Parts: sequence; structure tokens; C-alpha cells
Amino acid sequence: MKTVVIGLGNPILTDDSVGIRVSRVIGDLLSQQPETAESSDTIEIKEVYAGGIRLMDAMTGYDRACIVDAMVTGRFRPGEVSEFRLEDLCSTRNISCTHDTNLSTALEFGRMLGLHLPTTIKIWGIEACDVTSFGEQLTAGIEHAVPVAVSAILSALFGELQIDAAADENVNVSVNVEGAIP
Amino acid sequence: MKRISIDPITRLEGHGKIEIFLNDEGDVANAYFQVPELRGFERFSVGRLAEDMPVITNRICGVCPEAHHMASVKALDMLFGVEPPPAAKKIRELLYMAFYVTDHTTHFYALGGPDFIIGPDAPPSERNILGVIRKVGLDIGRQVIDCRARNHHVIEMLGGRGVHLAGGLPGGWSKSVSEDERKEIEEIAKKNIDFALFSLRIFDDLVLKNKQYLDLVTSDVYLHKTYYMGTVDDKNRVNFYDGMIRIVDPDGKEFVKYSAADYMQHIAERVEPWTYLKFPYLKNVGWKGLVDGIDSGVYIATPLSRLNVSDSMATPLAQEQFERMFEAFGSKKIDGKSNGRYQPIHHRLATHWARLIELLYAAEHMLELSRDPEITSPDVRRIPQRIVGVGIGSVEAPRGTLTHHYVSDERGVLTSVNLIVGTTNNYAPMSMSIRRAAEKLISKGRIVEEGMLNRIEMAFRLYDPCLSCATHFLPGQMPLKVIIRNSSSEIIRTLQRD
Repeated sequence: MKTVVIGLGNPILTDDSVGIRVSRVIGDLLSQQPETAESSDTIEIKEVYAGGIRLMDAMTGYDRACIVDAMVTGRFRPGEVSEFRLEDLCSTRNISCTHDTNLSTALEFGRMLGLHLPTTIKIWGIEACDVTSFGEQLTAGIEHAVPVAVSAILSALFGELQIDAAADENVNVSVNVEGAIP
Repeated sequence: MKRISIDPITRLEGHGKIEIFLNDEGDVANAYFQVPELRGFERFSVGRLAEDMPVITNRICGVCPEAHHMASVKALDMLFGVEPPPAAKKIRELLYMAFYVTDHTTHFYALGGPDFIIGPDAPPSERNILGVIRKVGLDIGRQVIDCRARNHHVIEMLGGRGVHLAGGLPGGWSKSVSEDERKEIEEIAKKNIDFALFSLRIFDDLVLKNKQYLDLVTSDVYLHKTYYMGTVDDKNRVNFYDGMIRIVDPDGKEFVKYSAADYMQHIAERVEPWTYLKFPYLKNVGWKGLVDGIDSGVYIATPLSRLNVSDSMATPLAQEQFERMFEAFGSKKIDGKSNGRYQPIHHRLATHWARLIELLYAAEHMLELSRDPEITSPDVRRIPQRIVGVGIGSVEAPRGTLTHHYVSDERGVLTSVNLIVGTTNNYAPMSMSIRRAAEKLISKGRIVEEGMLNRIEMAFRLYDPCLSCATHFLPGQMPLKVIIRNSSSEIIRTLQRD
């Protein structure tokens, strides 16, 4: 099974970077695992900076996707980590006032074209405080969410992999991120 | 006074808020488009090394990092007092053309085009790229994906990275183009030209040959007689990467042409009490509010404005389309000569047509650059020898003229940073277009709900605004909400799109 873990957000926009930070920690942890040449299970870590078709592009070629992003709903405490299904988020396909379209429409677009897109998409949202100020630090309450989200995503990843890959427990990991700014 | 609030909450790029104020007679008094702006970029940047800015500013926005990278690196050329070798400028421009092809393609097929290909009154669930595919065919979807993929490949090849490109350096570019890469880009550019012509044919067949849509494009719903801004080359032709900023008045007469470095002599920013946004306007005309006309300093910076300020296009196929568009709107030559500029088109929905003509120009110019003997020159960098301390760089971003202005100390450490991003130029005209759309649907207290959201969305969608450059798609619901309040600000009606 090919899995992609996507940190979504803007890396220099204070709490908007929290998804990217979570994905970097997961990448660091997984890259410390010994690599095995034989396994067919792979996990790749990506950073994505815009949604819609760009996000769909990043998921193309994978069987499973885990996405982690900041959110500002006012319904959760800052730093609270919540897991969503795609259908929880995007019950409609309305075009929105963005540069292309929403994720569910982008995914349906990709599927119509026969692109290889994940059959399982899990989404973690982290309630954020400040997503409109430039800054490289998370606000205090959000910093604590990073290990919580990392733990939740790793549990989801390896809980399933143990079941799916009973005959082959080894997982290859590659980290594909652009790194921090200078 | 009644207040109608339309609150689009989007999944991708932040959100804006539309406020419509009615007067005592129940007619539209004003409409404002409020965009949540990002804050603190100057504070974030001051104290950093100037040469880091191309790889910092390209993180401002996940959608147009290439535009910020180019404006930034041009500002650094000036700040370090260094002129890049010709090959470096051509590589920058080549990459920038690939970016324009992807960006304009995405806007037309995913965002702007559905209003016409599917129809402005179609349900929103159909008025998207899926609807386009159902109407035009699955093959067009594949072409859109292929077009994006091959041009992203060019951006990565030339820029070193796919999204946050890293090729730009003060005084040049970090890598040269090999002959194999050149050949590959040449083939990609040819495909881009075919795709652009194909897209213009779709526009012809589905919009221009459809009386209902043609009437909409040429109606006065979204008509404003404002000033226009765009960058032109030394022959007054459209140029996205470099040139002089030209402003024409509502009659098409050149008002001013200036170097981007002099922008502060020509552009001022107006602060209004009801919003923290600053509205750029022409300083030497003056601010008269959100109104059009020759006495109002409001201008637009869009694909349409770029064509309006230009005498011609720099490539032959785009020039044919340029002439077709102006003649379709009945525009005459300003000076009566056959090679002069046309009277400007004031119909804002023509922006979609202009965007396709720019797509064709970008593709043709990409081919020209890929065939330029100098493009594979290894001479792509001049090492800066001094620090001037002030750098101003400007490019035409797809959404309008983008200006980066840096000031540094003698070590090259930044002491001041100012950016005017493409969308900012259009804050005032977007509000004016929304007001015009609302006026057609609200009269003497009677509010026509049917189609209101669509028509208002169309008004700002044509400008393709960046609504905050944030990337959230969570929570991903409630794309549009209308709240109607009475004179006591009590909610009397709520319209919401599921």
C-alpha cells in the first residue's frame, strides 16, 4: 500500500503552519526507521501549500492519504485535534471563490479522468488561533497540539498497516519536503 | 438602513465578506468587498538578509509563488546594483511563461469558465470543472491536467523546485538550461500553443456563438469606465516580466508611463473607516470614492487592463485574437491609425476572454524563448559587487501588477519592506462590480434572491482575487451565506447555499 502524509498550510503564517510541522515530525520519526528493500508498503511525507486541484495532484498515485491542516472553526478549543472524513467536510461541490475548486470536486474530477487516487482519505484538523499574521512560531496553545496530532496519525498509519500487511510488516519511508526557509 | 451581508466561506484560500448597504428607499447605497488581509509581513522581514527574500516571499502564497519570486529577484537586482546577463533574464521569463500557462488555464476551466460554459444561472453543483467536462467532454479534463503537469515540470526543471522555486539570485539565475532541456521545453511550448488555441475555440463556440452569453458579456451589468494599468515593452506591447507601467484613462489616452521604481509618485493608498484594507488609487487623479469616470483615481490591474493599455501583442497568433476581441466590442483605434491602440473595453466580463488571449501569448512567447540561441548560454550570473540599499521590482502577476520594495542597510540587512500584491490593486473595482450586480437585483426594497449569489460571485470571480493566501480547506462548508438585516441590524432573512 502506498500512503502519503500531507502537511497542508503556509509555512510562514504562524499557526497556519501547524499541519506542515506535524508532517515534518512524522517524517523525522519515520526516517529513523531502518529501510527495507523488500516491502511494498511505503509512506511518503509531503508539504502542500494550496488546496483544491493542487492538493489532488499531491495525492495522485497513492492508495491512502492522511492530511493534516490548521482550521479556525470556533467550535473547538485552540490546539484541539479532530479527525474528519472527507464527507464530513465537503458535503457539497459548490464552486467557491478560490482559484480553482474545492477538494471533493477536485477528487471527483481526478476520478473521472481515471487518475489513481486514494480510496482512503483521513483528515486531521487542528484548531488554530492566529492564521493571518506572518511568523515562524506557533502560538503557545497550538504548539502542544503537534505531538498529539503526530501520535494520532502514527496510530492510524500503523494500526492499519499491521492489519493490511500481515505478511510483510516492513514499511519503507521517504520524505519529500522542501525544508525550512533560511 | 438595511444591511445585507454575504459571507463566502471558502475551502481553499481564506474568505472574504461582502456587505451591501441599502438606503432608506431600499435601493443599494454601497457594496463593499472586505478581504481578510495577512498582517505583519514587514515585521517578519525586517532584520533578514535581503538575498533571502526570493525564497521567503514565494511562501506568501501557495498559488502564485512564481510571481513573488520574480518580483523579489528583480528588486534584488536593483538593491545590489547588478544587471543580470541576457540569458538569465530569458530563463526567468521562460519559467514565468510556463507559470502563466498553468495559472490562466486553471482559472478558465475551473473557476471563470464554468459561468459561461455551464451558464450563470445553472445550479452551483454543476457550475464547476465537473460540469465543464460533462459539457465539453472528458478529453478536455485530461488536457487540463496534462497542461498543468507539463508546465509544472518546466517550472521545476528551471526553478530547482516545484512550488517554492529557488532559481532566482540577485544578478541572475542559479542554473543554465541544457540543450536537452531546451528541446523538451520547445515541445511543451508547442503543445501549449495548441491548447491555448483550442481553449479560444471553446470560448468562441460556447460563449461568443451563444446569444444569451454574448449579451451578458456585452451588457452593462459589469461595465465600469475606469483607468487601466499594465506593463508594456518598448513597443508598448503586453509584457508580463519587464517594461514600463502604463496607465490609460477611460477614453484610452495614455495618462502616464513610468518605471516601476517610481511607483510611489503615481500610486497612493486610501484608508476608509469601514475597513482596514487600503485602496490603491492614482495619486495624480485623486480619490473620489468607489466610483468610475475620468475624475476618479480608481484603476484596475487585470488581464483586461493589460490588453487595454497595450498597442498590440508581441506574438502573431495572440495579436489576431487581440484584434478580434476589440473589434467584437466595437472599439476603434485611438488615433485612427491602423497600428494604434484600441479604445479600452470597459465590460469586465471580457476579462475572461482577455485571459485566454494572454494564455496564447504566454505559450507563443515560451516557444520563442525556447528557440532563442541565447537560452542555453552558460553565462547566467553576475556576482553583485555592491549594495545600493533600495530595490524595487515589479512583474505582472496573473491577478495584477505586483510590486516588491525593499530597503536595506549597508550590510544588506532589510530595514523596510513594502509589497503591493496583484489583488490589492483591484479592491476598489471589485467592490464597484459587486455593487453593480446588486443594483440589478435590489430595487425599492425588493430583493431578488434568485441568482443573486451567482451574479455577485461572478462580479468578483473575474478578478480572480487572492482572498488571503491562506490555504485552509477546513471546515469546508457553507460557501456562501446571505444575511439580510433591518435598519436595527436585526436579521430578518438568511439565505444560505448548501
